[in-house]
Amino acid sequence: MTMLVPWVGTGCRAVLSAVLLIAGVLKLPDPAAAGRAVRAYQLLPEPLVAPIAFGLPVLEIALGLLLLLGVFVRAAAVGAAVLMVVFLAAVVSAWARGLTIDCGCFGSGGQVDPDDTAYLSEIVRDLGLLALAAVLVRRPRSRLALTDRAAPPSDTDTDTDTDTDTVPGDTDAVRN
Amino acid sequence: MPSGTDRSTGHSSRQTARERIAAKRAAERAAAERARRRRNRLATGLVVTALVVAAVVVAVVVQSARTDTSGAVTPANTAAGTGGAAFVAGPADAPVTIDVYEDYLCPACRRFEADAGDELARLAAEGTARVRYRPVAILDRLSDDDYSTRAANAAAVVADAAGVEAFLEFADLLFANQPPEGGPGLSDEQLITLAAQAGATGADVEAAIRELRFGDWVERVTDQASQEGLTGTPTVLVDSDPLTTPTAEALLAAVDAASG
Repeated sequence: MTMLVPWVGTGCRAVLSAVLLIAGVLKLPDPAAAGRAVRAYQLLPEPLVAPIAFGLPVLEIALGLLLLLGVFVRAAAVGAAVLMVVFLAAVVSAWARGLTIDCGCFGSGGQVDPDDTAYLSEIVRDLGLLALAAVLVRRPRSRLALTDRAAPPSDTDTDTDTDTDTVPGDTDAVRN
Repeated sequence: MPSGTDRSTGHSSRQTARERIAAKRAAERAAAERARRRRNRLATGLVVTALVVAAVVVAVVVQSARTDTSGAVTPANTAAGTGGAAFVAGPADAPVTIDVYEDYLCPACRRFEADAGDELARLAAEGTARVRYRPVAILDRLSDDDYSTRAANAAAVVADAAGVEAFLEFADLLFANQPPEGGPGLSDEQLITLAAQAGATGADVEAAIRELRFGDWVERVTDQASQEGLTGTPTVLVDSDPLTTPTAEALLAAVDAASG
């Protein structure tokens, strides 16, 4: 079992980064549609619509890349968690106000038929992603990571919280 | 007890002292190493943060430039007081104003036109209402070839070249020949053929349809409509009040109420 623990983080990173990267990339080709999707929530004043609509996809891609590579995993997971909370709040508020819009999470967005809204599944999905981010905030170290590595299985010592990303041929020998 | 041990093992106590000193130095070295690593990580973190912020700023600038439509050419024959966004049927002093936002790929718009198109034409012809047709392109992602934009551009070309009557005719033809969502739209050649049927012909019309002469205009009026609150099509406003269901029945009821 303990062998598998560091792989849990790898799985969380894989799923979260894939969703963030896809969501970000799909919003880039049609910035006007991204702006309409943001506007459809009727939450932001007009001057903020374009910066959010154009900047958010890049932020999603950046967080997705950090998680994919396994660099600054805890910070990236905190960022992803904040995004998910913001998305959840926006979707819940759209639902509560009786808007009938697509969340615009993966491009598209805007109005849909009242029968075609998917607020519940959007909320469940965001909650799931929030949970993955929370796991990574708690345990950022995992396998297949560039810097935030979990201790290799041969290491039986217990310092899993710090200093596991030491560079080989470390300083002691050099300095003495 | 400890003092007794010390005396009897003086040599090993010196050794122990040396070991303690060595251990202390090692601990200091490790602490220094950790501090160094923390500084490095902090510095790298700042660099990564700066890169992300820079990427976001660049994206906002580039995407703003891509969506900039300040150079858009507005077609001729648009209605006054609509920011060049609508083509109007019916007298300007009609008691009721109807705004119809439509995307030519939108099936619900085709159904609305089939249901209420004749009534709209009648209301305009009788002078009961001025009907402002506002083409928008919000469904480009639902065709392989940005059909919404291409069709709206072609409609603007027809209005520009042959007037509002030809535009109305062309819009009817577009809905009659509407392609399904999720595939290719009508080709430029098909649009040119329909434009000719509606009364807009000539090399300039063909060139304008092919080169998307009013493509920026389509983007501009779509953005304008979005800022006016449009989130889907068809959206029909009777004296600025939206119909909850786009049907002929609801339209006539709203017009009756508005003309009092």
